[in-house]
This record gives sequence, structure tokens and C-alpha cells, in this order.
Amino acid sequence: MYPYEGMFLLDPVAHTADPEAVEKTVTSLIEKHGGKIKQANCWEERRLAYEIQGHRRGIYLLVYFEMPGDNVDAMRRETRIIENILRQLVIRLKWDIDTYLEKSKLYLEKVHEDQEGRRGERVPEGPAGTTPRPDVRATGGEEAAAG
Amino acid sequence: MVARDKRSKDKDKKKKFKRFRKRRCRFTRMGIEFIDWKDVATLQRLCTGQGKILGRKRSGNTARFQRMLQRAIKRARYMGLMPYVGG
Repeated sequence: MYPYEGMFLLDPVAHTADPEAVEKTVTSLIEKHGGKIKQANCWEERRLAYEIQGHRRGIYLLVYFEMPGDNVDAMRRETRIIENILRQLVIRLKWDIDTYLEKSKLYLEKVHEDQEGRRGERVPEGPAGTTPRPDVRATGGEEAAAG
Repeated sequence: MVARDKRSKDKDKKKKFKRFRKRRCRFTRMGIEFIDWKDVATLQRLCTGQGKILGRKRSGNTARFQRMLQRAIKRARYMGLMPYVGG
């Protein structure tokens, strides 16, 4: 069993119609291949940087799971058959999932600190009372990506 | 005498500049272990407006982080988070 991070790009039309069913196709697929899901979070619908299979918008499902290494290829092959999954990327993690999640939390903190420092140097902060930018990963709301 | 004074002043200036030179690689400065390919905001800062990856000369990254960055950007591109070309 190795720790993996899988990102699945889902069809937004099917997802808005029945979000649970579409998410379940992914989770059940992982479980079918002997995977154990540790965490799964869905990003908000966002514009894609370029058209993928005729879609300009998409929903990302980020799943952290453990799976025997031999089964990963078979699972990826199967995702190609499922129509609601437009694209997937499965990456084996260097660390176990909990450590990775901790590290990525730290990473985000450090990056935000750095950005705020830079912003402070150059441009003054926005008007008082504005909320800080939401966590890119939690919301997926980085519209700049779509250009 | 005057000429020598001037020269020593120049030397001092150079020394000062060297001493206070900031670390150029932003990732080394931040003290992080890896670059997250899902953090599009950071990755985009290291790309041109056309979506090309900035070279090391331009970004100042260390070789290690430039390799990580390259991989991160390519992953983000594949997933449609970042453009291959154009804004």
C-alpha cells in the first residue's frame, strides 16, 4: 500500500445534476481496486485554462488514498471509460498522507506570508474590512488561472 | 591621499552590497520542502503572460527548485489549471 494523491476532473453538467452519484463513481472505483480513501474534497466549479473534451468549465475532486501499487494502472485505465471523468492525475506521495497534509498546510502558510510581505512592500492593502483571499485549494476559486 | 580615500569608499560600498544581498530563490527563502502543483497563484507568478515558464536567470530559482517548479507547472497544465499557451 502506497499513499497517493488523485485529482479527477469531473463533468460539471453531470455533477450539478447529481453531485453525490458522480463523486461516488470515483470513490467506488478507488475502493474497488483495493484503495482506502483518507480524504476527499471537491473544489468549486471553475473555468478551465483550455477546453478539455468540449468542456470549458470543470469540477475537481481531490482524493487522498492508499492503494497497492499494482492496482493503480488498472484503475487509471478504467477512468478513461467513465464518461463523467474528463481527466485524472494520480501521483504517489513522498510521505504518508497525514504528513503530506501537514506539510502542505505549512507550505500554504509560508507562501501566503511571503506574498503578503511582498504586497506590503509594493502595494498597500485593499480597503479595510475586506476578507483575505480564500484558500485556493479549499475553494478552487483562483479565477486568474482561467485567464 | 584624496584618490586613495575615494577608492576605499568604493570598496566599502561593494562590501555592503555583498553583505546585504538577498537570497534570490524565493522557495529557498521561504524554507519549503516541495512546490505544490495545485497552488496555481504561485506557479503563475513564475510564468510569462504567454504561459511560458520563466528561466532560472529571470526567476533566480536554485536548480533544485527550478526542477520542482517545472514539474509542478506541467502537472497543473495537464489538469487544465494553467494554460499551455496564452493567458
